[in-house]
Amino acid sequence: MTQHLVALVDVNSFYASCERAFDPTLAGKPVVVLSNNDGCAVAMSPEAKQLGITVGAPWFKLAPAAGQMGLLARSSNYELYGDMSHRFLQIIGEHSAQVEKYSIDEAFASISSSPGQASTWAQGLRQEIAERLGLPVGIGLGQTKTLAKLANLAAKKLAEMNGVCVWEGLAGDYREQVLARLPVQQIWGIGSRTANKLAAMGIDTAGQLRDADPPMIRRRLGVPVMRSLLELRGQSCIELEDAREFHDSLVFSRSFSSPVTTCEVMEQVLTSYAQRACTRLNTRASEARTLTAWAMTSWHSSKAFESPSVTLSLPAPSNDPVVLSRAAKALLPKITAGTRYTKAGITLTDLSPAGVQPTLDVLSDPQQEHSLGPLLHQVRNKVGTDSIGLGRGGLRMPAEWEMRREMMSPRYTTRWEEMLTVHAT
Amino acid sequence: MQLPATPEAVPAGFPSPALDFVHESINLQEHLIHDPPATFIARVSGDSMTGAGISNGDHLLIRKGTRPRDGDVVVAVLDGQFTVKRLRLTSSGVLLEAANPDYPDIPVPELSELTIWGVAYMCLHSLR
Repeated sequence: MTQHLVALVDVNSFYASCERAFDPTLAGKPVVVLSNNDGCAVAMSPEAKQLGITVGAPWFKLAPAAGQMGLLARSSNYELYGDMSHRFLQIIGEHSAQVEKYSIDEAFASISSSPGQASTWAQGLRQEIAERLGLPVGIGLGQTKTLAKLANLAAKKLAEMNGVCVWEGLAGDYREQVLARLPVQQIWGIGSRTANKLAAMGIDTAGQLRDADPPMIRRRLGVPVMRSLLELRGQSCIELEDAREFHDSLVFSRSFSSPVTTCEVMEQVLTSYAQRACTRLNTRASEARTLTAWAMTSWHSSKAFESPSVTLSLPAPSNDPVVLSRAAKALLPKITAGTRYTKAGITLTDLSPAGVQPTLDVLSDPQQEHSLGPLLHQVRNKVGTDSIGLGRGGLRMPAEWEMRREMMSPRYTTRWEEMLTVHAT
Repeated sequence: MQLPATPEAVPAGFPSPALDFVHESINLQEHLIHDPPATFIARVSGDSMTGAGISNGDHLLIRKGTRPRDGDVVVAVLDGQFTVKRLRLTSSGVLLEAANPDYPDIPVPELSELTIWGVAYMCLHSLR
């Protein structure tokens, strides 16, 4: 029976897998990717997870035993990850009429097919992404986004699934078993606070939530939780939020009410979206150092699909709307006037807590330096000599150009001078 | 580099979709890269492939995920390193062939034991 199915495609251990795709010496080895300043683990290869390393593990604790464990580390290389993320999305787009980028390493795609065909489709897509990008993916399919997420989880947990799980393709009693065992906070969109409230109502598992009374859930916990409930029943009702936050990245994207066809309007859109992303960044007291700006045409259009994307590193981490808006405009040269773009977005990665980086980046713009002298003087007179300074004197942390990224791999796909070397020897 | 494009002759009566773009310069990206998400560029180090027109410092366009055929120049993983060789698939076995008599060919016991990262399909060689 043909039905509308949603697929959630995600790259396993995305950052570590990107490193591996370009470095054969990492194959089969435990690999960790470190946060900015080489502080702590932000991603682990499966082998590193088996060593018990979890997200947030500080590198200074891992480093002494790394040699003995055979553990290899890389500094985060967000330009590479941003570019690979774009390639990943393009390939999914070749296989689906509709694709929604969810995060840097996840996308929803929709297909119409029977559960059996869907499984074949997903295995094919999985193999293609492995062959064309060298990235391992897992694919979960279901009637709703929530069920697709759930199926994706199952595809990861159960080795015999071979990375693909179609929820509707599983035996009915098996699905019931999974729902009865799955803690409610493992459901997409159910946070720990909601889970605690549900627990107080005697709802601990996914199955119990599905069988609860929707109006009662809406009354006591609000519309979003009721939507999760309905999605567990197979009723599609969750639209992606415009702003989506993850532990190490933030996405702001939105579809346009009518297509954007000019660079002028696209410039307004990018500026506006960059500012909204900034607001989110400020809410969580973070700064970003890498920005990806992207746009896409409709998958339904008869014209060829276009999805221009640009990833750039900022000179220093920033949460300044002016800086991020200006960076987002780097997409404009890739925008073709006359093309009907239906969606655009800003992805911010390489996040760090705000305020630990120099805010006075005078070296980046020497012309500003002249006007700063008197200003610095005024500030010092008012609030004391240690309150502000130029260069290292003014910094609470080492400057960005001194930040440790000692183990960073080359930016193979975004920098000409850092491209891959192949040996004719 | 931008090259002015000349519109091709079009049989009368059939409006060509290409006419919409008559004024655009040739887009090298479009003509040299057929599978953008799976195409990567790499710099060549070494002179074992000079006989195939690939010199030290040249740039190769490499397509991943395409099935290598006999005679293709491939990027293979050898001892944890990306190596450029010509792939020979013969009845007597698999061979990674250098294109320079100073370098030995490398026999491969089984194709399945060989990791081919991608197929190099074009070499960019600077003439000055």
